[in-house]
Amino acid sequence: MSTPTDDDKGDLRYAEYVLGVLDADARAAVERELAASPQAAAAEAQWRQRLLPLAEEIGPETPPPQVWARIRAALEFDAPARAADARGGWWENIRLWHWLTFGSGALLAAACAALVVMATHRPPTPPIPYMAATLMETNGQVGWTATMDVGKARMIVVPAAPQAIHAGRTPELWLIPQGARPIAVGLISTHAPMTLTLSASLVARLGPTARLAVSIEPRGGSPTGQPTGPVVAAGAIGAAPASALRLVGTPQRPA
Amino acid sequence: MNDTSTQTDTLEQLLARTGTGDRAAFARLYQQTAPRLFGLCVRLMQDRSEAEDVLQEAFVSVWRRANRYNSSLGGANTWLTAVVRNRAIDKLRQRREATNTDPLEFERLPDASHGPDARAMASADYLRLERCLEQLDPKYSRSVRAAFFTGATYKELAERGQVPLATLKSWIRRALQQLRTCLET
Repeated sequence: MSTPTDDDKGDLRYAEYVLGVLDADARAAVERELAASPQAAAAEAQWRQRLLPLAEEIGPETPPPQVWARIRAALEFDAPARAADARGGWWENIRLWHWLTFGSGALLAAACAALVVMATHRPPTPPIPYMAATLMETNGQVGWTATMDVGKARMIVVPAAPQAIHAGRTPELWLIPQGARPIAVGLISTHAPMTLTLSASLVARLGPTARLAVSIEPRGGSPTGQPTGPVVAAGAIGAAPASALRLVGTPQRPA
Repeated sequence: MNDTSTQTDTLEQLLARTGTGDRAAFARLYQQTAPRLFGLCVRLMQDRSEAEDVLQEAFVSVWRRANRYNSSLGGANTWLTAVVRNRAIDKLRQRREATNTDPLEFERLPDASHGPDARAMASADYLRLERCLEQLDPKYSRSVRAAFFTGATYKELAERGQVPLATLKSWIRRALQQLRTCLET
């Protein structure tokens, strides 16, 4: 143990993460590693077991009752008739996607406005588990919208009004982390919503500094692992509060 | 597992059921762990209002992530502590500038803050860790404790302790290496 091998340095990094001495950037780097590597997650878990018992030295304090009330409110436990809806229900709501997909531009704009309004009227929320991107085409029209469910590691990509592409070609979606090469997310469609499963390393790179882009590739996708055809649409990734989306998901109800 | 058994459910069982969307289990999990976790939040944030925010955000995250809890990687208590502590540390990092710049005197930090009452309730894991901490050079164990209970970065600890950054890093890294060895035996 006294020779500082690379393994040892790596292991100590997880210890430093658990202890909490790393700055924000280093913490984010470790978290990406933990999301991508089960070995790293296991090593970090071992350090939790070693170090976190120190928390037993801190005496308990009763939190004020409003904390539990705020948790219930944030999770919408008290909203009527939505019991089964608390987790990801809106995701399965085909009607919502159809509505978002085929609704008019004005409706879509209204929905976006509603998202913003609702988001700003909610109590402070935890790290956003859902993210969204609007992929604008070069002509200024919305080509696709992408919504990412971070917890379930999947993304649904809905075509709005993408321009026609040549037969035998297919649109491919890419994630472009800031300052890094594009990473293939999957093949998408110009006419149907697609659900793509995201790898842990991909999920770890989702965030407000990353962008999504669509390139036109041969059928079956880029043969090189990097975009080979023209980029036809792109957009930045932002937060999409789940609670707001869920409310938006019931346009048929009177306001 | 029937309803009458819920009074004696372990935290692991409550967390597993929270992962299936069981709100009653989630409420009980909160009742049983919130006071201890809130104590941790208050200690780290040094601000009750921010501590409340951290506890709230952490439990919202617990509800959403409970289905990813893997009991083979450790107990529920440790998992919950990590969720809360990570949230608190992330929030501390978001503060524009370090709000707590009080000098930290490593020589004068207490070696342990455990009172006899608390010690009677301490877990075996805690007692092992404490025994290993006691075997370290006092400046190593004090710097680890200072880090653990303040959530400060290496840089902040070095500044507050008026110790060169490289020295502080080497103290903590050696402490961690020696703790790992001690806890493996």
